[in-house]
Amino acid sequence: MHFSEDDLREALKRKDPGEGFTQRVMARVNQAQPGNKTVLPQKPNGTFLSWLTHRPAWAMALAAMLLLAFGIGGYQYSEYRHAEEMRIARAKQQQLQQEAERARDQAIMALEIARAKMNHVLQHAQLQAEPTDKIRRERL
Amino acid sequence: MNLATRKLTLILIAAVLGFASLRSYGQDAKLQLGNLDKLSQKAARVTDVTLDGSLLQFAVNLIEKADDNDKDVEQLQSIIKNLKGIYIKSFEFDEASQYSKADIDAIRSQLSSPRWSKIVQSVEKRRNEYDEIYVLKNGDKVGGVVILVAEARELTVVNLVGDVPMDKVASLERHLAPGEKHSDKPKQKKESGHDQE
Repeated sequence: MHFSEDDLREALKRKDPGEGFTQRVMARVNQAQPGNKTVLPQKPNGTFLSWLTHRPAWAMALAAMLLLAFGIGGYQYSEYRHAEEMRIARAKQQQLQQEAERARDQAIMALEIARAKMNHVLQHAQLQAEPTDKIRRERL
Repeated sequence: MNLATRKLTLILIAAVLGFASLRSYGQDAKLQLGNLDKLSQKAARVTDVTLDGSLLQFAVNLIEKADDNDKDVEQLQSIIKNLKGIYIKSFEFDEASQYSKADIDAIRSQLSSPRWSKIVQSVEKRRNEYDEIYVLKNGDKVGGVVILVAEARELTVVNLVGDVPMDKVASLERHLAPGEKHSDKPKQKKESGHDQE
């Protein structure tokens, strides 16, 4: 196919869009769906970091706040650990004390039983010996 | 095997035997009372005390820390400081003849060694009462004491291991014991009731 210069000039010459062209375009724009919008990918880190790099005072403040928060957190954790260790030690000490008191009570009770039984046996032996002595004395 | 090796072997054997006998010397004041455990099911009242090692040491430490000016505590301290173990098994029954002669014989057989001496014996055959006190001699000192109370409705074995000052034990104040007292008065009532039958 061959186009002459006149053909091209005819084809590319300015044409009148006609009446209501603006209204038609605006109507097409209004008809466009909101879901058809294309979401542009955002840079997740770059934005905040670039924001920070442009504001060094804010960056310093944030760093200081983070340090303070970690410091307070760490101190509180160490305090908690210390309190926990103290509580465990106190509980152990209390348990030992209770065991010792139980052992002492048991020892006292055991010696009381020993005393009672020893005296019981001695009494019985004495009671048995007494009639023999009486008889012996009567014989004499 | 030459002469020197033979001598060395003999010395080693003698040392091992000596060590073993020394160990048993210290331990034989403790009686094996496990055979009495079966009586727990029949007994109306059971008292089982096992106090030795670290537990006894706890008790000794606590008693030693107590008020020295208190005479009772002082007496208790003097008794307990040389003790190595306190073992008691006491069974009280609602009915008579709940334990066998074999149960007592198992205890007596352990006291048959010449080192044990029976220092007190009270036998009342009509009431089936056999009360005995044994002492283990450890040189000039007392190595252990056993009090055996075998009566119709009661079987009690008290085994004190260590240097036991018997006079002090016998004269211990009654109010020392925490909780329930082990008095022998109710038993005397029982006995008198038995007599009336």
